[in-house]
Amino acid sequence: MTPSKPLRFEHSTHFRSGGTLGLVSWARASSPWLIHFNSAGCNACDIEIVAALTPRFDLERFGALLKGSPRHADVMVVTGTVTRQTRDRIIRIWEQMPEPKFAVAVGNCCVSGGVFRGCYNSYPGLDSVIPVAAYVYGCPPKPENIIHGVATLLGKIRGS
Amino acid sequence: MSLEAEQKLASGLKELLGDRVSDIKVQRARSIFVTVKAEDYKESIRRVIEKYGITHISTITGADSGPTVDVMPHLSHAGTKITFKAAVPKTAAEIDTLTDILPGAVMYEREVHDLLGVKFKGHPNLARLVISDDWPSDVHPLRKEYKVIRPEPIRKT
Amino acid sequence: MTPMPEFSVIVGPQHPALKEPESFTFWVDGEDVVRAEVRIGYAHRGIEKAAESRTYIQNIPLIERICGICNVAHTICYTQNVEYLYGREIPRRAEYIRTIIEELNRIHSHLLWVGIAGHEIGFDTLLMYVWRDREVVMDLIEEMTGNRVSTALMTVGGVTRDITPELATRLRKGLDILEERTKYYEKIAAGESTILARTKGIGILTRDEAVRHCAVGPTLRASGIKSDIRADDPYAAHDEVPFDVITSDTCDLFGRVVVRVYETIESIKQVRYCLDHLPNGPIRIRLPNTPPRGESLSRVEAPRGEDIHYVRSDGSDRPARYKVRAPTLGNLAGLVEMLTSKGNYKVHVADIPIILAGIDPCMCCMDRTARFIEPSRNKEWVWTWDQLKRYKRRSGR
Repeated sequence: MTPSKPLRFEHSTHFRSGGTLGLVSWARASSPWLIHFNSAGCNACDIEIVAALTPRFDLERFGALLKGSPRHADVMVVTGTVTRQTRDRIIRIWEQMPEPKFAVAVGNCCVSGGVFRGCYNSYPGLDSVIPVAAYVYGCPPKPENIIHGVATLLGKIRGS
Repeated sequence: MSLEAEQKLASGLKELLGDRVSDIKVQRARSIFVTVKAEDYKESIRRVIEKYGITHISTITGADSGPTVDVMPHLSHAGTKITFKAAVPKTAAEIDTLTDILPGAVMYEREVHDLLGVKFKGHPNLARLVISDDWPSDVHPLRKEYKVIRPEPIRKT
Repeated sequence: MTPMPEFSVIVGPQHPALKEPESFTFWVDGEDVVRAEVRIGYAHRGIEKAAESRTYIQNIPLIERICGICNVAHTICYTQNVEYLYGREIPRRAEYIRTIIEELNRIHSHLLWVGIAGHEIGFDTLLMYVWRDREVVMDLIEEMTGNRVSTALMTVGGVTRDITPELATRLRKGLDILEERTKYYEKIAAGESTILARTKGIGILTRDEAVRHCAVGPTLRASGIKSDIRADDPYAAHDEVPFDVITSDTCDLFGRVVVRVYETIESIKQVRYCLDHLPNGPIRIRLPNTPPRGESLSRVEAPRGEDIHYVRSDGSDRPARYKVRAPTLGNLAGLVEMLTSKGNYKVHVADIPIILAGIDPCMCCMDRTARFIEPSRNKEWVWTWDQLKRYKRRSGR
């Protein structure tokens, strides 16, 4: 069954338990829609993210779907070093995403610059450009790490 | 390891180019370095690729050598790498383009232009290739004078 | 062409599979692409400059991350380049181990590509199947090196880990499974009508064009040119390990699929040969921190093509200059040619994604922004990759 897009209720009239926020949080946490942005990465993290979607690891069982447009996404998964060229793109996409939104930094380059820290074109991590909700370390992180990162983020969302 | 074939090729190159060659070195198996003057650069390469039927250029390396920049196209002939080396002064970093005799050089010359500021005369489109649009046009990161300036974080973490 | 007002639609990258940011501009006439231009550089990280301020050993992890997918090719090219500076030969056993991990890396890269190509065609099942089978080779790489992707196996002077007989047995078992699965994909690639319909006659790069634009790797070999660094300019153990250079005469995308699938089978054979003929001896030699003054050039056949590195030493423990030309840059000029309609060869807008995927781009460059200019109707617009692929499906190709 395909998870449906979470509904945004202004007033909760039909849902009895949890109230408006409860329903929306539950819906959001059960079916996060992800958008993946590859900043200037070496692609190692990207292929591990794709591997996380394939049958052996199957990220989709969490209801996480990879979507194309920022306007439909709850979570932005970023890989790779943030460079001067990609910085503006990242900020634009981030601004296009509707609230509440979360950014996940995947891989050492995105978390803190990784091997590229100190290079003339690289920022020291994604959080020097946008706020980050979850950090997945590794170079590259194994698909299990990535799933753990997403699951941790879902836990955060549920708790909110 | 016998370098007979390479030595033979090196002598052949020296004979073909005559005075244009200031140095020729068999660096190791299947690798020869030929040093020429900047004004003889294109003509030497043209003669060599015509004589040996060379069509493949692997890349062009630019290297800062103090007062000069070395421009080094790496050609490939039957598995052997022939590298030409020509030095241009930094203050007047210009050399002829190879794109009319080796169309494959088009991207590599753009890269050397971006990173080291060498102008390739006659290149069809010496636009930026790897450097970002907001980078100042007179700053060439691979020159030794350029000291790395890290990008400033936009927000405090 | 009159200058047009620019209106750019802000887009975001979305493809789950491919690479980095990049920008293309296409001039179109109705459905046909008449001209293409490429602007790369979004993933320019300043590696060559950074390499000058790190020691030769510190540079190994940096070079490894030029490209995560073909990290083995880059590290072999780097370490052997530095070893050439010393003028020293590394132990034969180390060269065989390098060849083993290199070919395993090629297998993983080609299988990855087959899955991605399937996805680009719209054949998602193929992506899932191939990537599931690719996990076999990922496990083998992890057993051998401790990491799935960035192997960290190479050092200046040899390799860091050895292959025990037990590991060799496990590798052989894994190879048997891989061979069986790859032969299955070989049948699919050659016989499945969906794939044939969407790859035959698409993305043509004739023999002459491939030579003129100095294409490399499977893109070159799919245009009928028998050129492979492992055969022409052998390194590591390739002077002893027998293999066939796979070419195809079709000059199109189908040829590129075929070349990569058959190369995977060749790689499996090469790994088996290396395991059977692994020489005894040490796996590394210790070299001093500072190589002698000089310069050196080194090439390897990465999964995407010829990868060439240049190093210059000034006698210190850091390189004075390190230059890398990764294979995809070599295929860019050919790519632009493939994307240009000429004579009877028409490039449709709908085919753009698969043609781009066909060269197996690995250059920090696939931004999913494609800008279109149609002079005859005075139109200009920007599409995201997703929009381009949805257009492809709607147009029924």
